[in-house]
Amino acid sequence: MNKSPSHPPEAVPDLATCDREPIRIPGSIQPHGILLSLDGDSLRILQASGNAEQLFRIPVENLLGRRLPEVLREMNAGELVDAIECAALDTNPVYLASVSMAGRAYRAVAHLHAGRVIVEFEEAATGQLFDGNVSFHNLYPLVRTFLDRLQGLETVEELAQMAAEEVRAITGFERSLVYKFDPSWNGQVIAESRGPGIESYLDLWFPASDIPAQARELYQLNRLRLIADTDYKPVPLVPALDPETKAPLDLSYATLRSVSPVHIEYLHNMGLRASMSISILRDGKLWGLISLHSRTPKTVPFEVRVACDFLGQAFSTHLAAKEGQAEYEHRLHLRSITAKLLGYMAEEERFIDGLINHPDELLALTAASGAAVLFEGNCRQVGITPPEPAIRALVNWLSDNRQAAEVFRTESLPVEMPGGEWFREDASGVLAVSISKLYNSYVVWFRPEVIRTVKWSGDPQKPVEATAKGMRIHPRKSFEAWKETVRGKSLPWRPSEVEAASELRNALVGVVLRKAEELAALSAELQRSNKELEAFSYSVSHDLRAPFRHIVGYAQLLEDHLGDKADETAVRFLNTIADAAHSAGMLVDSLLNFSRVGRAALHLMDVPRAAMVDEIRQELAEQEPATRDIVWQIGRLPTVQCDPVLMRMVWLNLLSNALKYSRKKAATRIEVSCESTEDWHTFAVSDNGAGFKQKYAGKLFGVFQRLHNQEEFEGTGIGLANVRRAVGKHGGRTWAEGALDAGAVFYFTLPVRAVATRHDLTK
Amino acid sequence: MLKPILLVEDSGQDVELTLAALTKARLANEVIVLRDGEEAMDYLSSQGRYATRARGNPALILLDIKLPKVDGLEVLAFIKSQQRLKSIPVVMLTSSREEPDLTASYQSGANAYVVKPVRFQDFVKAVQDLGGFWAMLNEPPPGSVRFRRPE
Repeated sequence: MNKSPSHPPEAVPDLATCDREPIRIPGSIQPHGILLSLDGDSLRILQASGNAEQLFRIPVENLLGRRLPEVLREMNAGELVDAIECAALDTNPVYLASVSMAGRAYRAVAHLHAGRVIVEFEEAATGQLFDGNVSFHNLYPLVRTFLDRLQGLETVEELAQMAAEEVRAITGFERSLVYKFDPSWNGQVIAESRGPGIESYLDLWFPASDIPAQARELYQLNRLRLIADTDYKPVPLVPALDPETKAPLDLSYATLRSVSPVHIEYLHNMGLRASMSISILRDGKLWGLISLHSRTPKTVPFEVRVACDFLGQAFSTHLAAKEGQAEYEHRLHLRSITAKLLGYMAEEERFIDGLINHPDELLALTAASGAAVLFEGNCRQVGITPPEPAIRALVNWLSDNRQAAEVFRTESLPVEMPGGEWFREDASGVLAVSISKLYNSYVVWFRPEVIRTVKWSGDPQKPVEATAKGMRIHPRKSFEAWKETVRGKSLPWRPSEVEAASELRNALVGVVLRKAEELAALSAELQRSNKELEAFSYSVSHDLRAPFRHIVGYAQLLEDHLGDKADETAVRFLNTIADAAHSAGMLVDSLLNFSRVGRAALHLMDVPRAAMVDEIRQELAEQEPATRDIVWQIGRLPTVQCDPVLMRMVWLNLLSNALKYSRKKAATRIEVSCESTEDWHTFAVSDNGAGFKQKYAGKLFGVFQRLHNQEEFEGTGIGLANVRRAVGKHGGRTWAEGALDAGAVFYFTLPVRAVATRHDLTK
Repeated sequence: MLKPILLVEDSGQDVELTLAALTKARLANEVIVLRDGEEAMDYLSSQGRYATRARGNPALILLDIKLPKVDGLEVLAFIKSQQRLKSIPVVMLTSSREEPDLTASYQSGANAYVVKPVRFQDFVKAVQDLGGFWAMLNEPPPGSVRFRRPE
């Protein structure tokens, strides 16, 4: 590895430069075995490791150019000769045979790659778990147990834990870690098995740079690596280049391949003398590693490695199934949450409350720690969220910049959104669905910065260990480095969660659209019926009124015509005809008036109540016989924002009623007063007239509801219905209190702050 | 000679009642009764049946809104669009109390808008006021002869 001299000395050596290191063609091997490279056809020896003499008892130079079978025959290793000549080789190393020389046993393993047969002679291990004659028979029970136990496991975590334990048991390493990559190739230790006295790395995170891209690529090809002794002295190949290709030998699949000095330094800093790793693939891609550590040197026999590889593959297969199943179950679970939320929404009067009133489900839907629902201009939050102004800034930014996106997600809002640094702690991760363009309606979920969610089995406050200080590379430093890489980032949103959010969005949009359609249909229907009503009253006002006018007119003409010839009875009849037609005409006018009150838009203005009431009082008083004894008592009346035309009609009706029904009293007494609270003015008009039975009070305000006959008190039965409509249009209420022959009090309220009511929305 | 009052009214009863009211109101002008909007426009532009009528404009037009063929608002718009006719006072005389009619009438330049009251006495009074005001008291447009109330 070339280290730039300008590098600051304390910086973690950028492991990224390892990306350029020739790890597949190191030109040397580890010394716990001997490697020969043969021509694939002739089996002539082209290159040999410098330590070949240990086995062959002749100088390396003398080996080169000779056919390996010949050499082996001279050594009486006939079994191996047959194996080599008959083996069907590919990139997967296969065991050929054992060979003994000078009291040392070697196992020969061979593979074919790029036209070269690479034969590796590994010295048989001694003093370890499987020393001596390791065979499949020894390993089979272990492997079978592992496979049996796999069946009973529920989760990926359990699977990983068991793999860590089994692989450590088979190999006898001191510690095994199951290390899982995230989508950005950062890794996390998700399971660990360790012997006494060795440090735990469980839950530690490592940045992607710890295992550079080309190493990951190699791990994907060659699933097993062993470093038998980190203190090894590399043994070079002789000659350094392949004599025919003039290129270094590709050792991608070689067991003895010498490893990067940076990696060795890393292992040293961890206090390790030996390590092995087994690749876990998922759908042919690197998913993770089982990493084995020992503080003493350690070789692992080929059979054990094969067993480990087998376990690794079994792990991979089950992993695909477990993850697939877990993902499927997760989706099902999320779907059931969506269904619950939809149910809650259906129960609420305002459907959106169904989300806000069930924060647990809303958050569980996307595994978020906070959420905000922005709807019809309101912003409501549950869980841990940024403050409202920040959320509003976020949705404004979303609607300005991400209009096309129905679902927006990011793991790093601080990077994506200008000014997003605000969101770093509580909301680095944002998942947002747009419900309606109107008012920027969104459901937004938040996830905190990932660092806050990281578990750490050690003491997170504990400073980097003394041993790690001054070291260029160390897992704790990696962890610190990783923390830097995930600053301002949340855990990624899973596809199932994004899908669930999208599903919820579709349901919400559906509801919103349906509501809008219902409203539009209702308003179209209202407009249509309003138009019809207008046409109807137009024709009523022309055609129904005219005949009454004619009756009255002709009765008058007849009376004029008869002149003196009309006797008293004739005149009375004519007058009755005219009166009857006249009241019918008045009735038509009142009805039209009533429908107009219903249809008219409010024109609000400040109306001095006292002046209006006084004017109406005078107008009415003028029509009364001068002999009538009337006492008016009018209290202080406020100025109110209202429609003057409608309000005039209200007062005219109430005051003329008061006059009318007290007509038969010797002395009439009419009181007008007002009481105000913060929100409402309550007006009251009372008289000492005929009154009514309180049980009929509810009927008074209905159309054509009368409590007296025409002979007692004339009237059309529409006046109070008009009053109720007009007051209702202002948002107020009307009611009455009375007792028979003891007068009546009519009340109505008006809001202190005028509001436009629902009726006006259709205008 | 007094200029005539033009009454455009399709209802026979209303014609009779209006004439009675005009008589009661002691207006001495001749009243020319036209029964629909088309006839009114023919009269005013001296066309059709009225091609040979005596020249000159009426002193006042009492115009019903709901009329067969061409309605009162159209006749009004026609009158107010003609240089020769637009100074004739037009009183919209109608059963309708509907706001759109009222608005449209004033927008088209009606000089007054009267909802025919149900009570005959009130109608007589209204006609009297109107006729008196527009046919007598108002400064008549050029070409009209000032009406003098007969004693």
